[in-house]
Amino acid sequence: MTDFIIKYRWAIITISFALAAGLGILIPSTGTDPDIRNYIPRTMPSRVTNDSIENEFGVQDMIIVLFTDSTILAPADLRQVKEVDRAMSRMEGIGTINSIYTARKIEGRDGMMVVDPLIDRIPEAPEDFLTLKNDILDNQFARDIVVSSDMTAAAITGTITSTEPEYETLNKVDSVIAAQQGDALILTGGLPYIRQFIIKDVNNDAMILIPIALIIMLVVLKLSLGNWRSVFIPFTVVILSTAVTMGMIPLLGWKFSIIMCLAPIILISVANNYGIYLVVRQQEISQSDLPVTAKEMIRSITGSLNMPILFSGLTTIAGLLGLLTHSIIPARQVGILAAAGVSLALAMSLLFIPALIYFQHTPGRKLRPVRTAKNDLISRSLEGISSIVIRRPGRVLLVSLVVTLLLGTGIAFLRIDTNQENFFPRKHPVRKASEIINSKFGGSQTISVMISGDIKNPVLMEKIDDLTQHLKVSEGVGSVFSISDVVREMSKALYEPTEPEYDRIPSSAEAIAQMFELYNMSGNPDDFKQLMNFENTKAHILVRLSRPENDIVRDLRDDIKVFAAAFPATVTVGGYAIIMTEFAQKIINGQVSSLIFALFVVMILLAIIFRSFKGGLIGSIPLGASIIIQFGVMGITGVAIDAATALLSSIMIGVGVDFTIQFLWRYKLELMKGGTHQEAISTTYRTTARSIVINGLSVMAGFSATFLSGFLSIRFFGYLTLLAIGSCLLYAIIVMPAFMLYFKPAFIEAKLKQLNKNNEKDEKDVIPIVSSIGSVTAVHAGSAVRSRATDGTQP
Amino acid sequence: MERSRDLTMSGNLQSTLMLTITEKNGSTRTRKLTMQAKTAGGTEKRMIKFLDPAEVRGTALLILDYEETQDDMWIYLPALKKTRRIVSTEKGKSFMSSEFSNADMTSAALSDFKITHMPESGKNDTWLIESVPVSEDKADEYGYSRKITWLDKKDLKVKKIEFFNFDGELFKTIDIISTVPITGKEGYIMTEMYVMNHNNGRSSRIKFDEINTTSVIPDNTFTVEALEH
Repeated sequence: MTDFIIKYRWAIITISFALAAGLGILIPSTGTDPDIRNYIPRTMPSRVTNDSIENEFGVQDMIIVLFTDSTILAPADLRQVKEVDRAMSRMEGIGTINSIYTARKIEGRDGMMVVDPLIDRIPEAPEDFLTLKNDILDNQFARDIVVSSDMTAAAITGTITSTEPEYETLNKVDSVIAAQQGDALILTGGLPYIRQFIIKDVNNDAMILIPIALIIMLVVLKLSLGNWRSVFIPFTVVILSTAVTMGMIPLLGWKFSIIMCLAPIILISVANNYGIYLVVRQQEISQSDLPVTAKEMIRSITGSLNMPILFSGLTTIAGLLGLLTHSIIPARQVGILAAAGVSLALAMSLLFIPALIYFQHTPGRKLRPVRTAKNDLISRSLEGISSIVIRRPGRVLLVSLVVTLLLGTGIAFLRIDTNQENFFPRKHPVRKASEIINSKFGGSQTISVMISGDIKNPVLMEKIDDLTQHLKVSEGVGSVFSISDVVREMSKALYEPTEPEYDRIPSSAEAIAQMFELYNMSGNPDDFKQLMNFENTKAHILVRLSRPENDIVRDLRDDIKVFAAAFPATVTVGGYAIIMTEFAQKIINGQVSSLIFALFVVMILLAIIFRSFKGGLIGSIPLGASIIIQFGVMGITGVAIDAATALLSSIMIGVGVDFTIQFLWRYKLELMKGGTHQEAISTTYRTTARSIVINGLSVMAGFSATFLSGFLSIRFFGYLTLLAIGSCLLYAIIVMPAFMLYFKPAFIEAKLKQLNKNNEKDEKDVIPIVSSIGSVTAVHAGSAVRSRATDGTQP
Repeated sequence: MERSRDLTMSGNLQSTLMLTITEKNGSTRTRKLTMQAKTAGGTEKRMIKFLDPAEVRGTALLILDYEETQDDMWIYLPALKKTRRIVSTEKGKSFMSSEFSNADMTSAALSDFKITHMPESGKNDTWLIESVPVSEDKADEYGYSRKITWLDKKDLKVKKIEFFNFDGELFKTIDIISTVPITGKEGYIMTEMYVMNHNNGRSSRIKFDEINTTSVIPDNTFTVEALEH
């Protein structure tokens, strides 16, 4: 290995930089994908049905412009609404507009059917305002759709067309709004705006989080390694592996999404770990009084560290690859990117870093390590923990079991959230607009029901009406738009209230056909376009949801299916809310499958490392407990599983397992030296545990950059990552030692002789060089604690 | 422009007409109708009855298009045995859900527009006349920001009308496919018109057959009672 690195050192360095430059150059061409629907496979049933509905009735995504005031029925406010309405109705990128100025009143009056705008001119006299208010309250197509019942808000709703790019349309709407001077406060909402904010905030996140994570890591490396010369090596690996990984996004034809931001953060936090071990070892060796040649330096570093680094890397990669079993597309992409990045960082640590060290090496020159601090806070804390664990392992186990189970009860309250609105903090304009839309205008998220059959058939129309009326009074439904409402409204205009046909579905197909014809002649045929197709063979019920929660949506979908069973037609249920509900289920399935996969692979790796199946199981205890704690705390604090937090477990498994491996590895080595269990634990605390803590803190520091994300979900991800890695860390350094002392499992003590022999063979090149270093190295951050050679002890 | 407009005023007209609406995806909907029209004293009266498809046969529409005041429109629905007056102020709305607007089917008041020649007017034997609604409200009512009418220089017949949206882009074109002269009077009747909506890809064609401009249509044809017969 050493000869290979030395022989091909130029090639290794050149290829590493060329790869990073070649792929890094692609980074600026990365697009952004703000649509959460694209997180979901195109083949997912709800997406397929929704696509079929949108093919027939167009995209149902609405932009909503809100005007709020103490009373919206004031001349200045109505003028504002009119100007924005006029400008929007003239925009190419906007299809159907619905506002107080486009709303119609269809009414029977003195033998006439009056189809007129709800408002033709802005009233001036108080009595005219009163008439307008009553007209709004009496009109089911206006009340709580274009003006709220309390008259404090008006809404203009517009569907988006594909005739011009969405952002151009939204920019035009924003310019119109910015030019408005009036009393009403104007807010914008709806999915296109949410997407727009996501694009902006994702770009902001990328611009802020990545540099901040890099700065944090630079500080952590400086504190850990002491001199800039040593910092340069692992930091270069971070930069190169991050550049390659980010460049892979456009190369693979992927786009940057909210959760894709996590890929570089994971890399920045994890990629330097392996390099730190190597550089600390370089520092240790350089402290030796004996001059060491570059070749000896490389041999001593790689000889003792390659295996633990390789295992550490492989477990991390296995955890991240658990994301491949996820149904969420960007989760899989993050899994692939992070696993590829870590693999690259691992390869670079094993090849590129020794090559750099070879060039950097000057025989006899001593690298100044970070000042050792045997009495710092971490050391003192570990000393305290060590004495408690050694004295009372049983109690430590009992307390940790109780705490874990207590926190685990929170799992019962765990909830899934797929609502994109909740990505944003409460004070964000998107959230403010969403709250008004949901509370006063029936909501912006929808369920679409498509009925395929002879829509003029009165039996079918009655069924559509039954379903429409049922949905209107169902929990969580804000408003319902249906062709049967139009038919009934027309019957009210054509018949007197005393006639039996008043507010009824006509009893013949001819009557319904003639009503449609009448509407076509008197209203706007585009009004129908959303509710019925051109050939009258498909109808569409659009349900707006004031509470788009998954359980409510599921109940509504089930209700619709029950009604649909009696329809003399085919019924298809789709819509954004339905997609999101299925998405929620996919998130749960993804969580379970990725957890099982990652745990299984990690367990196998641990079993290989400890050469014992039981060892694999026991080594997985910290992970299992941390998973319980993570979900329990999420349930207790009300943080939901969403597209971002769904990635947590896999990342935790990937990163958190290292601590246990490191601790147990060292503990086993100490036992091999013939010490008692207590002595072995005590020595491990004095040496390896400190490195584990610093390593864990550095990973947590890297992830803490996510606290500055514009997305609440990513921030929660950051908090929870700290919790998850923190609990892995505590389990590794408190509970596992207590477990070892209390149960004294056979796997850790078995085959000592064999292992002893192997280690002698592995480290024969290293021991002579490092034996003079003494135990100084163990106090360095991320020191090569996995090898007994680190502190110069002999087996 | 006034002269050109007068040429399309036929006095009396009886005809059958076929209205075909074609969606962007090629699906079509056809309505066969009869129309009787009469212009007297500045008022255009039209009685339209549906012949086909069967489910709407007998549906009838009476339109009184006044020069100065709002139009009157009555409809009879045979399946419901109901006659209703429809009051609507919007001329820019669709005519029978086609791409023709109600305004396209009548002779618009010239006073609603500022009319000028285009710079290219007069070339290629064609007058290009631009009509811009006199106010924003009129523009909203008609549904366009301006239109350009292509007139044959020789006989002042309309050849084509182009409509522009509020971004100044062409969104609709009406082509006059064929015309026939009015018997016994200077003027002509447009017998086939085709309209294309460039925005939504939908088109409509209206074709007049069995045209009769000589028979005198009695005034009682244009009454609410006559709708039901």
